[in-house]
Amino acid sequence: MQKLSHLAINAEGFIFNPSTGDSFQASQSGLDIINGLREGRSDEEIARKLTDNYDVSVENARRDLADFRGSLKSLGLI
Amino acid sequence: MKELIVGVSGINAIDNPGPGIGVARSLKEDAELKVKIVGLAYDAMEPGIYMDWVVDKSYMMPYPSGNGDTFIERLLHIKQNYGLDCVIPNLDAELPLFIKYADDLAAHGIRTFLPGMEQFKLRGKDRLLDISAKINISLPRTKVVTSVDGLLKAIEDIGLPVMVKGSFYKAYRSFTTAEAISHYHDLVAEWGYPIIVQQVVTGDEMNVVGLGDGEGNSLGLVGIKKLSITALGKIWTGVTVKNEKMLAAVADFIREFKWRGPFELECIVHDDEVFLIEINPRFPAWSYFATGVGINLPSRLVRRAFDLPVAPVPDYEAGKLFIRYTYELVTDMAAFQKAITKGEVP
Repeated sequence: MQKLSHLAINAEGFIFNPSTGDSFQASQSGLDIINGLREGRSDEEIARKLTDNYDVSVENARRDLADFRGSLKSLGLI
Repeated sequence: MKELIVGVSGINAIDNPGPGIGVARSLKEDAELKVKIVGLAYDAMEPGIYMDWVVDKSYMMPYPSGNGDTFIERLLHIKQNYGLDCVIPNLDAELPLFIKYADDLAAHGIRTFLPGMEQFKLRGKDRLLDISAKINISLPRTKVVTSVDGLLKAIEDIGLPVMVKGSFYKAYRSFTTAEAISHYHDLVAEWGYPIIVQQVVTGDEMNVVGLGDGEGNSLGLVGIKKLSITALGKIWTGVTVKNEKMLAAVADFIREFKWRGPFELECIVHDDEVFLIEINPRFPAWSYFATGVGINLPSRLVRRAFDLPVAPVPDYEAGKLFIRYTYELVTDMAAFQKAITKGEVP
């Protein structure tokens, strides 16, 4: 998660990578996941927080988390 | 503080802009430096001549060709008739003359802050291999060739497509051997030998503008990524970045080669690998970007050249945006007339 910790992220979910100059816009749920990963939370903790905040089952939250993690990886952010 | 008159060339703020206007603006923005700008122009249509809020006085210059006598005489004429304490040359073609005559100009009270001739030669693309090995930066696979046979062998070794480059200027991407041979002949005819054949690397175009003090220390540097470029390949929008590997290589470059004066390093960054593409021994056209984020390199150069106080190297923030824009001014033809008849404006 070292790469994630270097990102500049504002409250609206705008993400800037100071090393590459790339910028991204995350949705609120995406931002929640990124913040969870940056805080070192487990996948289970992040998925449960998603179910607390959004109308989503824990199974779907786990799947969304896995998908989002894949996106972060393909973008070189983790 | 005594008023300083600083000559600045490259005031051709056109679609392929010279660095001069950005340099002049930067000098004007140092509130403590009392600077008058003398624009050194090669064409009466260079916009800087007419931008009187940036350039106080402009002179038409002879081309910096031949042995340079006429060029130096013109500088001394400016010194005598208007005053000239320092020159920041911003065009590649001028640099060999300014470097060669730096001591003579200094003897006449015209200071410069430039690399020596040996340092200057390092910018040759045929020397980048030596540099990359010393500053922990990658170089695309490169062959230096002086014959068509050598070119063919290089293409065989590197594989198509390749970049075919002149030693100092111009580069063409070649997708076929025939294309590469054609570019080879064009470059030889225009710029002479050697020709550089290089692997094509892809990634983010990142550049660094910096200033070395000649003793191995940095007087400031700023890294950027080009976000969009014009049809001529010139930056139109960009963002400041802090790519640690690239900035470390630049610090190594300044230290290892004791670089004196401004420079621009052009790199391509692919994942964690930084490739060195080119070194320009002068300010780039986008150098006002550095001033805009708090690192006024032209001002620091002049201060250093005159042994004036130079503040510790400031830091800059990554994520600052640079946006070039177009603008127009309307003026009288009299200014143009003065430029072509008197060779000076106003």
